[in-house]
Amino acid sequence: MKSVTNKIDLNNVYKKFITDPENMQPVLGDVSLQIEENEFVVLLGRSGCGKTTLLNIVAGLELATSGKVQVDGIDVTGPGRGKGMVFQQGALFPWLNAEQNIQFAARKQGLNVEQSKELSQKLLLLVGLAGAEKKYPFELSGGMQQRVAIARALALDPQILLMDEPFGALDELTRIEMQNELLRVWSLKQKTVVFVTHSIWEGLMLADRIIVLAPRPGRIVLEKKIDRQRPRKRSDPMLIELYEEIWTSLQ
Amino acid sequence: MVREKTNALATTRARSYKPMNDFHFQSISKRINLYGLMGIFMLLMVWELSARWIWQDIQVLPSPIQCLDMAWQVLTAQELVMHIAASLSRILIGFTFAAVIGVGLGIAVGWYQYLGLAFKPILELLRPIPPLAWIPMAIVWFGLGEPSKWFVIFLGSFFPIFTNAWRGMVGIPPVILRAAQTMDVKGFELLLKVAIPAALPDIATGLRVAFGLAFGILVAAELIASDSGLGYLIMQSRETSRLGVAIFGILLIGFLSMLADDILARLLKKFVSRGRY
Amino acid sequence: MNYKIKSLLIPLIVLTVFVLSWELASFWGYLKPTRFPAPSKLLMSFLDLIFSGYPADVTIDQHLLKTIERIIIGFLLSVCLGVPFGLLIGGFHALDRLTSTIIAFCRSIATLSLLPLAIVWFGTGEQSKIFLIAYGCFWVMLSNVIEAVKQVDPLMMKAAKTMDIDGIELFLKVILPSVLPRIFAGMRISLGVGFMVIVGAEMIGTVIGLGSLIMEARTFYRTDITMVGMMILGLMGFLMTTGLAWLEKKLMPWQQQEHDRTSP
Repeated sequence: MKSVTNKIDLNNVYKKFITDPENMQPVLGDVSLQIEENEFVVLLGRSGCGKTTLLNIVAGLELATSGKVQVDGIDVTGPGRGKGMVFQQGALFPWLNAEQNIQFAARKQGLNVEQSKELSQKLLLLVGLAGAEKKYPFELSGGMQQRVAIARALALDPQILLMDEPFGALDELTRIEMQNELLRVWSLKQKTVVFVTHSIWEGLMLADRIIVLAPRPGRIVLEKKIDRQRPRKRSDPMLIELYEEIWTSLQ
Repeated sequence: MVREKTNALATTRARSYKPMNDFHFQSISKRINLYGLMGIFMLLMVWELSARWIWQDIQVLPSPIQCLDMAWQVLTAQELVMHIAASLSRILIGFTFAAVIGVGLGIAVGWYQYLGLAFKPILELLRPIPPLAWIPMAIVWFGLGEPSKWFVIFLGSFFPIFTNAWRGMVGIPPVILRAAQTMDVKGFELLLKVAIPAALPDIATGLRVAFGLAFGILVAAELIASDSGLGYLIMQSRETSRLGVAIFGILLIGFLSMLADDILARLLKKFVSRGRY
Repeated sequence: MNYKIKSLLIPLIVLTVFVLSWELASFWGYLKPTRFPAPSKLLMSFLDLIFSGYPADVTIDQHLLKTIERIIIGFLLSVCLGVPFGLLIGGFHALDRLTSTIIAFCRSIATLSLLPLAIVWFGTGEQSKIFLIAYGCFWVMLSNVIEAVKQVDPLMMKAAKTMDIDGIELFLKVILPSVLPRIFAGMRISLGVGFMVIVGAEMIGTVIGLGSLIMEARTFYRTDITMVGMMILGLMGFLMTTGLAWLEKKLMPWQQQEHDRTSP
């Protein structure tokens, strides 16, 4: 029987920046959240509502002032160790080409040179960039760079995939394309995903569960499960209803 | 933990232009084109004709051909090579020392913040002193021989190299370091495999700037306190009233420094700019 | 103790330790006074220079002013020639291509190597020194002005033209403000070059000026004066860079500061 430990467990997470004045509300007030394995969770909210901070805390890049943060039942004390992350932009190593960026991650996993080369080719094929192996980041478009970033994160064979507004810097059309690509990749490589965005539609298209956050103090104001097969349609009445609900909760 | 200090420092830096991409600051061979050569040829013609017909004073303005003639008379090929070798060896030694120590220190100070606090004050005090001002001191400490020249060239080259290496380290986009950390890269590996490659373009710039300065410093040092080398050659020709030799020497130095800068730029481009960032 | 306090305290401590150990080492005889004069001696020599002067009653302010005078005149000359020529060359593509190699070459010529030439042409007086400074500054000024013109944003020009701005108005109101920051940066770098050149230029054939001071002093084993002179030069250089950077910020607050790669 499968044990019911959550993949990601956040309990009463509280964070206040050291630089904040005394009387200012904390970035994260009292956030509790449990995420199951292979669940696709979207954190949604305006800029400054703490969603990125929360993501960083899960990643181990920042520490909570107090509260319990666990992945797979183990306390999170630092970055790495199975917590793959995709940033909004500019995180690819500019001195390495696409292939080498992915190989870098693969080598860190302990694969030798041939194995990592093989893996990088497979992943580039997976994200639809076969043929672009030798290109350097500056030669790739924004969308292509993000594909490489995703491939690189996957090369770590991570337990969880954390994504910080990964499509935020792309134009609308590329963004929609990338959302579909992400869903396709995710269906092939089941992972727990925590995805941060400020676009309500993006959340509705992608999430199993949407968590809406409000700022100062950062807290969850709405949590909704979305029980719809993907790919979803914008014309779906249930989604439109959800949109309205989320929109209201953000005011 | 995230290098939050790097974050803060990086956001206050301003990088509004990259000199390596400026046409006027690119490697020399990129700038030589047909029109440029035409321009030089025209200039040489003007010089030749005005020297012969207008000035007509070989003591004041010898024409290009007259310069070559004078140089030919005074110097043997052997002598010339010896002087060139003396000058070049001084630059190479002083510059190499400066490069090794400057890059090493710059990286260390940029990465370990507290190290910076210890070293920076002394370096900041010494930096504004113009390199040539060190010549008398160099003579006091090292005499009139080679080491004093190495010292002055070292000092002049050190600061640009150090400053740019330091700045390169401090200016690494934090997101790159964070991304590496999520891949379980930390400590020394983070420095060696991620930070230094990211800082390499700035380090290269520092090296190039320093090398260009080194030539100027060398010549000055040789003019003032030396008995061999191209600078000495130029100075000496004044005493023997052979201005043509001086002009020849001046142009030779200019040409050599252009050549050397070009070679260095190509070398650096090969090792650094693969990703052209 | 947080970072801010540490960042002020540690440098202070380091410097104090440095100066103290220097003084003590001198005092105990570990450092020869001609090679490494003690800080206390330096202080006394500094006061000496202010009031009695060296050599032959030339006080430090006279040296300083002379040096500054030479730099400024040479610099101004280079600006007066460099800016108009730069604007011309930068504005006309054909001129740029014709002259680019010449300019590159002339910049590579070590300014001080022209010293003997300058003496033949202008004698051993002020003019030869000023010529050298002007030469060194000119090429830097020229290159920067040319680049400034070439980097005027074509998009901005198009926008201006759609607003019916043309001719002199275009030049004054659009082109000039956008080239000014780069030209200013060029001035700052150019002044730095002039500063470097003068030190060397003054080491030959003159008795007034900071460069000559430190050189003369060495000949008579007054290493203490040499060091004081070096410190004053350092201070001068520092004030120049910070002063100009401050000025740049004041006059052109819209522009981000450009970094001169030879100094911070």
